[in-house]
Amino acid sequence: MSVMRLPSGVYHETYVQDHAWWQTRFVWVRMLILFLLLFVGIPGLGNLYIVSVANIVGYTILSALGVQLLIGFAGQVTLGHAAFIAVGAYTSAIAMLQFNIPYPVSLILAALFAGVWSVLFGLPSARVKGFYLIMTTMAAQFITVDFVIAQYVSRIGGRGHYFSLPPGTISVGPWVIDSELSTYYLMLILVIGSILFMGNLLRTRIGRAWIAIRDNDIAAEVLGVNIVRYKLLAYFVAGVLAGLAGAFWITSLYFVSPEHFQWSWSLWLVGVILIGGVGSIYGVIYGAMFMTLVPEALKALLFLLTQSPELVALFPFIPQLLDKFLFVKEATFGLAIVLFLLYEPKGLAYRWWQIKNYIHLWPFSY
Amino acid sequence: MSRGGNGSQRAQEIEITPDLTIPKVFVQSVHKYGDKVAMREKEFGIWRPITWNDYLDRVKAIALGLEALGLAPGDKVALIGDNRPEGLWAEMATLCAGGVAVWLYQEALIDEVQYIVDHSDAKFIIGEGQEEVDKALAIIGKCPKVQHVVWDDPKGLRHYDDRILISVDQVMERGRAMDHQDPHRFDEMVKRGNGDDLALLFYTSGTTSAPKGALLTHWNMLKMGQNLMRVDPAFESDDFVSFLPFAWIGEQMMSISCGIQAGFTLNFPEEPETSLEDLREIAPQMMFSSARLYEQMVRGLQVRYADSTFLKRKLYEWGLNVGYALADAKFNKKPVGLALKMQGSLANALVHRALRDHIGMARMRSAYTGGSMIGPDHFRFFHAIGVNIKQIYGQTEIAGISVVHRSDDIKLDTVGKPIPETEVKIADDGEILSRSPAVFKGYYKNPEATAKTLKDGWLHSGDNGFIDPDGHLVFFDRTQDIMILSDARKFSPVFAESRLKFSPYIKDAWVIGHQKPYVAAVICIDYGVTGRWAESKGIAYTSYPELSQEPRVLELVQRSVEQVNGNLPETARIKRFVNLFKEFDADDAELTRTKKLRRGFLEQRYKEILDALYSAGDAVHIDTAITYEDGRTSRIKTDLKVVAVA
Repeated sequence: MSVMRLPSGVYHETYVQDHAWWQTRFVWVRMLILFLLLFVGIPGLGNLYIVSVANIVGYTILSALGVQLLIGFAGQVTLGHAAFIAVGAYTSAIAMLQFNIPYPVSLILAALFAGVWSVLFGLPSARVKGFYLIMTTMAAQFITVDFVIAQYVSRIGGRGHYFSLPPGTISVGPWVIDSELSTYYLMLILVIGSILFMGNLLRTRIGRAWIAIRDNDIAAEVLGVNIVRYKLLAYFVAGVLAGLAGAFWITSLYFVSPEHFQWSWSLWLVGVILIGGVGSIYGVIYGAMFMTLVPEALKALLFLLTQSPELVALFPFIPQLLDKFLFVKEATFGLAIVLFLLYEPKGLAYRWWQIKNYIHLWPFSY
Repeated sequence: MSRGGNGSQRAQEIEITPDLTIPKVFVQSVHKYGDKVAMREKEFGIWRPITWNDYLDRVKAIALGLEALGLAPGDKVALIGDNRPEGLWAEMATLCAGGVAVWLYQEALIDEVQYIVDHSDAKFIIGEGQEEVDKALAIIGKCPKVQHVVWDDPKGLRHYDDRILISVDQVMERGRAMDHQDPHRFDEMVKRGNGDDLALLFYTSGTTSAPKGALLTHWNMLKMGQNLMRVDPAFESDDFVSFLPFAWIGEQMMSISCGIQAGFTLNFPEEPETSLEDLREIAPQMMFSSARLYEQMVRGLQVRYADSTFLKRKLYEWGLNVGYALADAKFNKKPVGLALKMQGSLANALVHRALRDHIGMARMRSAYTGGSMIGPDHFRFFHAIGVNIKQIYGQTEIAGISVVHRSDDIKLDTVGKPIPETEVKIADDGEILSRSPAVFKGYYKNPEATAKTLKDGWLHSGDNGFIDPDGHLVFFDRTQDIMILSDARKFSPVFAESRLKFSPYIKDAWVIGHQKPYVAAVICIDYGVTGRWAESKGIAYTSYPELSQEPRVLELVQRSVEQVNGNLPETARIKRFVNLFKEFDADDAELTRTKKLRRGFLEQRYKEILDALYSAGDAVHIDTAITYEDGRTSRIKTDLKVVAVA
C-alpha cells in the first residue's frame, strides 16, 4: 500500500517528522476524537452490551495481530494461531491459581511462554513453505490444544476439565478486574499498546526484513537477511501477541477450557485479516470490527423480525434461526469470505485507502 | 511538520545608502535572524535546514578561501550548476570578496560556456560536479585567464587530478585557516565594498544575436528588490522555492535581492526533475517563473481533468466557469452579484481549493510571470482558480523588473504599472523606455551596444508598446516580432501562439505571417499528452515524428487551431499548419535559454517548411540534422503533411 498523499505545504526537516504517523493537524484532531470516544464515549453510554461487544472486538484484534504479522508481513501462512492463544491463557491461569503470581506478572509469563511455544512450531518454517507450512501450523493447533492441553495441562491441580476463575481472582494491584467495564479498559490498554508495539516494530530493521522475506525470500537472503532468524523472530513475536490475547481473554471468562481455543478460531482469525486487508495493521482493526459487528447486527435484525407475529407466521423458520444462531454466523462468515475474495480481494483497509485517495486527488483520478 | 504562519511580521524596510552592498545587507540579516532557517535543501526526501548562521559560516570560509587563491576585487567568477545551497554560497562569497558573479545556464552547450567564460575574463569557474568539471576542463585550453576550477559534488571525480581543480571543501579549509589567523579579515572585506561596485555580470540570452554581458551593481540589485517589495511585501515566515536557473535574472531577484532583505526561507528541490513536486510540498507564498512553467502546470491539470471520471469532470467544468465569471469581473472591475459570490464560495470549496493544492499554490499570495507574455487563456485560468498571477515586465538591463500588476488592479492584456522610483515612457516610434535606480551600467566590453541601449539614463528596451488610459503598460513583445498582415494590420504572433498553447496537446507553436498572403503555423505536439491520447484511442506509433504525422493527431490539432481561429480577426486566422517532427529545443538554437522562439533562426532552418506552407502542395520532404545534448548529431528524413484549416 502506497504512501498517503499529503496536502500541499506539509514538509519535513527531519526523518523523525517524515516518519511520524500523524502528520497533519487534521489527523491529530481525528485521533483525539477517536481516543475520547474510546475512553469516555463508549463506557459513558452505560450500555454493557455495547461494552461486551467492544471487548470481543478488542480480543479479536489482539488475536489477529499475530496472524497479520505472520501472514501479512512475514509471509508465513498460519492456521494454528488459537494454540498460542490457549498457551497464553493457560499459562496465565496456572501462574495465578497454582503459584499465586500476580496477574500482571502472569501476563508477561504468558506472553513469553507462548512466544517460545510458537518458535517451537515455527522451526519447520525454516524448511517448508506454502501448503506444507499450513499443515505444520495445523499440527500445532491439534498437538497443543487437543492433546497437550486437553489431556495433560487441564488436569493440573486436579480440577477436572476446567480452570475456574471466580470473580476477584484477577486484579492489577488494587484494581480488580471483575466486570465488563474493567475488562474493557484493560482491553484498550493492551490493544493500543500492542498496536503501537507492532507498528513501530514494522518500521525498524526487523520489520523491513520480514517484509523482504514476504515479498521474495530468495532475494531477501541474497541481500543479507538471515531468513531463519527473522522467520523465527516473527513466530516469537506473533506468539507473544497471542499469549497476551489469551491472558487477556481469561478476564472475561469464568473458567478456562480447551473449547475456547478451537481450530475454528484459528480459521476465523485468518478470515479477519483477509476481510480487513492482508499486510495492514488497520486491516486487523477493520476486519475484527466487521467480523464481530456484522453477526451482532444480523442477530439484532433476526430478533427484530421475531417480534412481528405476521412475519413469523409467514416465515416460521425465523425464530429457529435465532435459536441456532451459531450456524447463521458460520454461514455468514463463509459467505463474507467468498464475497470478499471475489469483489474486494485487498480487503477493507485497501477500500478505505481508496476512499481517502478519492478525496485527496479530487477532482482528478491521479 | 512545518507550516508557514501568516501572523509573523513583515521585515522592516532597510534604508539603502549608496555605500550599501549585498554582502553588507547579508551580514545584517545574519545578525538579525541568527538561528532562523535561511534555506533548506531537499536531500533523500527531507528538507535539510541551513540557518542564517550556517549560511554566514560557509560564505565566510569560501570568501576567504577564494581570496587566498587569488581572487581580487573586480575579478569575475563564472558559476554553473543546479540550484543548490553551495551555488548560492559561492555567489555570495564572490560578492563578499569583491568579485563579480557570472552565472551560466547549466544546460549551456560547450561553445556558449567557452564564449561567456572567455568574454567575461573569469578567473574562477565554480561548478557543481563532474558534468561542470568536464565542461571546464574542455575549455580551459582556450580560456587562459581561468586559474581555478572549484567543484562541490564529489560524485565521479575521484580520479580527476588536474591541478587546476580544487574542491569547495578545500577552499573552505583554506578560508577557515585564514579566518583563524586574522579573525577580522572577513568583516574588513565586506566593509570595503561600495554600492556602486559591480555585483553581477549577466549574459542576456538574446533572441537575435550573440549574448551581451549586462553589468549590474549592488545598488541596482538592492533597489530593485526593495521597490518590488514595496508593491508586494514579503514576510520573514515566507517560503520561496528556488528552482529556476540562477543565470536567469528573475531568480537572482528573488533569491538574492529580496531574500536577504526580507529574510524569507529559500528552498532548493532535490533534483530539477522533481521541482514541481517539491514546489507542491513547500507551497510557497510567492514565486516568479517564466510563462512556460505556468503553461506546463495548466497542461498538467487539463490532462488529469481529461482522464477523470464523469462526475468529477462536470464539477470541474462548473467550478471553472464560475471562476472565469469571477475573474472577468475582477479584470473589468465590475461588481459581483450575491448569487455569483455564493457560487464562487462553493466552487472554491469544491474545486478551486483542490486545484490550487494540486499545483502547490495553496498559500500563494503573488505568482509572477515574466520573460515573455503568458497567454490570456492561461492568465484567466489561474485567476479563475484563485491564484493571484501577475505579469512582470522588465529586462536583465534593469535588474529584472520595472513594471508589475498590483493585486487589486489586474488587467488581462497589460503588464501593470511601474514599480516605485521607476519611470516608463513610450518613445515616438513606440519603443518602451524606462528609468530607475536599477538601470544597469552598460554591456561588458561592448560600448556600441551600450550607447544604443542606454541614452541619458533611459533604457531602450527594443520592445514595442503603449500606455493605456489607466496607466498600465501594454507591451507587444520584441519589436522585430510584430507581424504585418495582408491587410496592413499589425499583429503579435506571440498572442496567437500562446492561445494555441492552451490546448494541452500543443507544446509549442510558431506563427508566421509577416508580409505574407495569409497566416500559417508550425506546431510541436506535446509527446506525453498526445501520446497518451493516442494510446487511449488505440493508435499505434513508435516515435515523435510518426505520432506527429498520424492523421487523427493532425485532426486533433486542427480542431485546436480552429478553436483559436474563432477568437482571432479574419486576417489573423491560421490558414495552414504543419506538425513539426520534433520539439523546439534550445540546444538546436531554436529557442533561447529562457525558452523564447528565435524566429530569425527558425525561418532559415525551416525554409523548406515555410515554402510548403505558402505553396499549393500538401506535403513537404525533410532531410535535416538534429543535435543531441552531448553534441552528437543525427539525420532525420521524413515527410510532413501540410493541413489546410477551413
